[in-house]
Amino acid sequence: MSRLKDLQKNLFGGTTSNARQFGMIFTLVAIVVLFQILTDGLTLRSDNLIALFQQNSYILILAIGMLMVIVAGHIDLSVGSIAAFTGIMVAKAMAEWNLPWPVGILFGLAIGALIGAWQGFWVAYIGVPAFIVTLAGMLLFRGGNQFIGNANTVPVPEGFRVIGSGFLPETGPDTGYNNLTLLLGLAAVIAIVWRELKGRRTRKEMNAEPIPMWISILRMVVMVGVIVFVTLRFASGRVGTSFPVSGIILAALVLAYSFYTRNTAGGRHIYAVGGNPRAAELSGVKLKRVNFYVMMNMSVLAALAGMIFVARSAASGPQDGNGWELDAIAAVFIGGAAVTGGIGTISGSIVGGLVMALLNNGLQLMGVGTDRVQIIKGLVLLLAVGLDVYNKRQGRFSIIGSITRSFHRDTPAVPTPSSGAEREPAKTTVAG
Amino acid sequence: MRKLLGKSMAVGAIALLALTACGSGRDGGSSGSDSGGSKGFAANSLIGVALPAKTSENWVLAGDLFTNGLKEAGFQPNVQYAGASTTVADQQAQITSMVTKGAKVIVIGATDAAQLSTQVAAAHQAGVKVIAYDRLILNTPDVDYYVAFDNFKVGQLQGQALLDGMKAKKPNGPYNIELFSGSPDDNNSKVFFDGAMSVLKPEIDKGNVVVASGQKDIKQTAIQGWKAEGAQARMDQLLTSTYGNKELDGVLSPNDTLARAILTSVKGAGKPIPVVSGQDSEVESVKSIVAGEQYMTINKDTRTLVKQTIDMVKALQAGNAPQVNDTTTYNNGAKVVDTFLLPPVAVTKANAAEAYANDPKLAPLTK
Amino acid sequence: MSDVPILLEMRSITKEFPGVKALSDVNLVVRAGEVHAIVGENGAGKSTLMKVLSGVYPYGSYDGDIVYRGEVSRFGDIRASERAGIVIIHQELALIPHMSITENIFLGNEPRKNGAIDWKAANRQALELMARVGLREDPDTLIKDIGVGKQQLVEIAKAFAKNVKLLILDEPTAALNEDDSQHLLDLLRGFRERGITSIIISHKLNEIEAIADRITIIRDGHTIETLDVKGDGVDEDRIVRGMVGRELHSRFPDHEPKIGEVFFEVRDWTVRHPISAERLVAKHSNFVVRRGEIVGFAGLMGAGRTELAMSVFGRSYGVYESGTIYKDGKEIVLKTVADAIANGLAYVSEDRKAIGLNLLDDIKTSTTAAKLSKITHHGVIDEVEEYQAAEAYRQSLRIKTPTVDEGVNKLSGGNQQKVVLAKWMFTDPDLLILDEPTRGIDVGAKYEIYGIIQRLADQGKGVIVISSELPELIGLCDRIYTVSEGTITGEVARQDADPENLMKLMTSTKKMQTR
Repeated sequence: MSRLKDLQKNLFGGTTSNARQFGMIFTLVAIVVLFQILTDGLTLRSDNLIALFQQNSYILILAIGMLMVIVAGHIDLSVGSIAAFTGIMVAKAMAEWNLPWPVGILFGLAIGALIGAWQGFWVAYIGVPAFIVTLAGMLLFRGGNQFIGNANTVPVPEGFRVIGSGFLPETGPDTGYNNLTLLLGLAAVIAIVWRELKGRRTRKEMNAEPIPMWISILRMVVMVGVIVFVTLRFASGRVGTSFPVSGIILAALVLAYSFYTRNTAGGRHIYAVGGNPRAAELSGVKLKRVNFYVMMNMSVLAALAGMIFVARSAASGPQDGNGWELDAIAAVFIGGAAVTGGIGTISGSIVGGLVMALLNNGLQLMGVGTDRVQIIKGLVLLLAVGLDVYNKRQGRFSIIGSITRSFHRDTPAVPTPSSGAEREPAKTTVAG
Repeated sequence: MRKLLGKSMAVGAIALLALTACGSGRDGGSSGSDSGGSKGFAANSLIGVALPAKTSENWVLAGDLFTNGLKEAGFQPNVQYAGASTTVADQQAQITSMVTKGAKVIVIGATDAAQLSTQVAAAHQAGVKVIAYDRLILNTPDVDYYVAFDNFKVGQLQGQALLDGMKAKKPNGPYNIELFSGSPDDNNSKVFFDGAMSVLKPEIDKGNVVVASGQKDIKQTAIQGWKAEGAQARMDQLLTSTYGNKELDGVLSPNDTLARAILTSVKGAGKPIPVVSGQDSEVESVKSIVAGEQYMTINKDTRTLVKQTIDMVKALQAGNAPQVNDTTTYNNGAKVVDTFLLPPVAVTKANAAEAYANDPKLAPLTK
Repeated sequence: MSDVPILLEMRSITKEFPGVKALSDVNLVVRAGEVHAIVGENGAGKSTLMKVLSGVYPYGSYDGDIVYRGEVSRFGDIRASERAGIVIIHQELALIPHMSITENIFLGNEPRKNGAIDWKAANRQALELMARVGLREDPDTLIKDIGVGKQQLVEIAKAFAKNVKLLILDEPTAALNEDDSQHLLDLLRGFRERGITSIIISHKLNEIEAIADRITIIRDGHTIETLDVKGDGVDEDRIVRGMVGRELHSRFPDHEPKIGEVFFEVRDWTVRHPISAERLVAKHSNFVVRRGEIVGFAGLMGAGRTELAMSVFGRSYGVYESGTIYKDGKEIVLKTVADAIANGLAYVSEDRKAIGLNLLDDIKTSTTAAKLSKITHHGVIDEVEEYQAAEAYRQSLRIKTPTVDEGVNKLSGGNQQKVVLAKWMFTDPDLLILDEPTRGIDVGAKYEIYGIIQRLADQGKGVIVISSELPELIGLCDRIYTVSEGTITGEVARQDADPENLMKLMTSTKKMQTR
């Protein structure tokens, strides 16, 4: 039992909230295995994995920004519209002013920053709730998309499409794999080993209880194994394909933002503002500035997501961005963020997004229609968050515990007072 | 720090060795793009059909016909509809999944004809044949065939029926009419509209027919997403702004769903029912025609179109070139796509019984 | 007297929260038709006891028995106790501002006819109830449009609508002016004549003495005694002795102050209310703090002590009007909290849960939250330094927790307060402003916190302590300022301080003469 506890406590990630991450990753693995069986191995085939990342990178990019927005205690409903608006602006600019595509990307990011500054201004400095500001933005920029594009579909040049549908080039000796993907995988392996060793050293410096060596090794083996497997999958796709460019953009953003939210003062401030705004303010955090930048950052990422989608679709259309805000928000909440703000991680949101993406993909491969897919996704969202809320009320989270609890009805989790045995146990959990 | 990095590198190098040691195994890949079609493929292959959202009866019917028809022909059908709100992204994902599952032919009824080139290209590279169904996929050289009704002809029939209908009600003009067109992201919308205008324009120029609101440009008349509520809202506004004390004689509507929305609006405003065109022979509209409300619709028999498409798939399976009848008209921006066009039929109350005689669902309605 | 039937008996009630025993073996006997007062210091357990009685803490979450009207009662929630005729009126009124008096009186208890609310009957009954509590208003008036005193009466009328048998009033006069308080006390006397039993919790001992038949004193979660006002010849001093229960000096660690020069001075400090701009929350206040000195701010609730302190702390309350701050002889301008922190000020709030801590954080992130720059190098937070800093405070302040990775919401009040102190000690302040530093903390933890405050002063820091408990200020501070209506009305040295002269200055409205 203590080994099991050790494992659960230490296997995944840092020191806090790893039980949750364990649950999330467990769910993700279960879904992968389930669909791998149900689709006769199609799920983990290289072309499907590549497609999976290409199809979902833009939602996952949105989820990064949305996580920070939600942690800060806000919501952003306008991301889909902003993505669509940026998409049409960039497509038109490249078509009519002959902007070279790299300039087009910068142009799009600038539009995102501008829109973000506009929304951030209303949220942070005027004090209009983000729900309202972004609801307005949703209408505003959807209309803007149709006004600019006349509801037409505008194609984008070949070079631009790289960020959405591009691959790493084939270089170097013929190894039977895409060499650059192999190098990426190698870098990831080195990073993981380095992090593990550094983590051990840090704990030693803190004089904290060291993680058992066998867990460190097991953790490294598992993670390196996953990376090697995934790398081989991505590297062995059809010639000309590799780990997709949009996936690389996503990975870079995930690493950068994870680092930012965990290891810098700015990131801490977002959590502080969401957890208790007044306490944060009295600790010297500049509330308005944090809110402003969080909203602005979301719009910049929405602009990027919009451009990636346009690049993948080869054209900007009037339907772009429809419903994206809901996908991003769902990913964040499935990933364990709290509706009230202050809680959530980037990695959790990415896993949450992947759970949704895999469901989508797996069900499609099975030939389940979108109507039923939507029903299933709705239920999964409700179930994931409902389970979390339930577990919080029970005062602890433990997948293993929740499985075993149902087998040991006679030993309830909450100790009941000796007197008055006819009472219902459920009532003892009311907090003080 | 350096020591730490050194250790990491060592482990990384071992992993790399592991990577390359178990090497090879990359699928040959590039072969598919040119050679696939001429040789044909197995008779029980997977055939993908990607259709837009289930917003119109016709798509639902087409889906059922494809499922049954392909099954009868010995294929494995995989028919998918896009979701209601996230249409384009869904369809992109569905096409990609079909390629993954090893479909030999993918029939696509596009939601946004210009946003599928990446997926179509991927399909082509995997050796999959792509047939554009009803809507031509734009800006890509990777579409093999296009099968559709002659949509310019549809527009012409709609325009002509509108003129005939108005003349039957009121022998002499000038007639007040309003124009509606389909979703601007649907390539066919413009074709319908141009067809209709080729008939109506000369009459408008003569002053015999008047667009009373002055909204004659396709950008003004378009209804985003072919949505009924959009058409109804626009008609409401036209009635208030223009027809306070004028008679509305006719409305050019590109399809049945919009036609019924227009009629709802006119009835709601308490105005006499104008002559309204339509298209698609939807059940409710056929009832409406028989009842004398909607004036006409177009019978583009989905059965014939689906049957034609399945015939093309069969030809490809046998390794033959499918039959086409237009190799010059349909340029999608990247190439001229080989096309098979089917002729549409105009249906009014007068010829409804005859036109739907073979349709099990519609025939009883006309009796 | 003793043959009057007993309405309520609470027998050996024990209630524990994680880490704190709020009530231990408490007994309370209330006779039918009397006004029974419960007194005790802040945090003694009075409110907890009433929450047990009214079912807020349901049966099963405490030990002991409630015998009500001769039967053991097991209230699962407030509704159950209300059905039995026990109604509690809390200090914060449970009224809905944008509803009418009638709607509030019958909220959740609406008279119905054929399934729909019978407003005619409701208004008629409301008028009757309002007459019983002496409230003359149009029953359609919105709650927000009547004063606090009348709102209190609406609450009582609401209790009558529920057919109250035992009325519990928690600090009913705390927010009322003299006239409204008097009216309320008269009302309670009237109830007594009509045979309604009431329990009143109050800090205002003169009122208790005037109205109560019997008084139960609670201290540190224990029942100390029950006094019969007429029979025992009770006066205020007698009550206080029971409440405090021991000599004052034993509550504070021994301390020899080492007071240095004046280093912090506020002159002519004037601040407007954040919403109603015509109100001044601080009026031309002047005060100084010396190094190594513990300075007390005494004042009644609403006197403006917190407002004064927070406005000095980077203008975190109200709208700055005028005034200057000098530190070490130089004028400093503190426009934001960040400025204040950078200039060596720290403010430990009176409400640590609402505005002092982020309860989602763990101990180590809470500790460093106010000065992350201290452990940030090249933009990256050094987790090792953070851990070590938090660990050092855990040991020096004796924060009871297995590790500093624990969430602060798992700590008891006293340990949370220590974390807040650690958070501000981490900013290396020269001046700490501690607002009610021992509110809601049990006696043992209080003693430790006093010790920490004294150590901070001995390090040469200035400490301002704001407290509502005069004994605390007298026992802890080297010098006490009295605050009333936003003005400093007096300054008393430790050796001259006693509750009487402080209270006189606290109720004065005359500005202190500049020395």
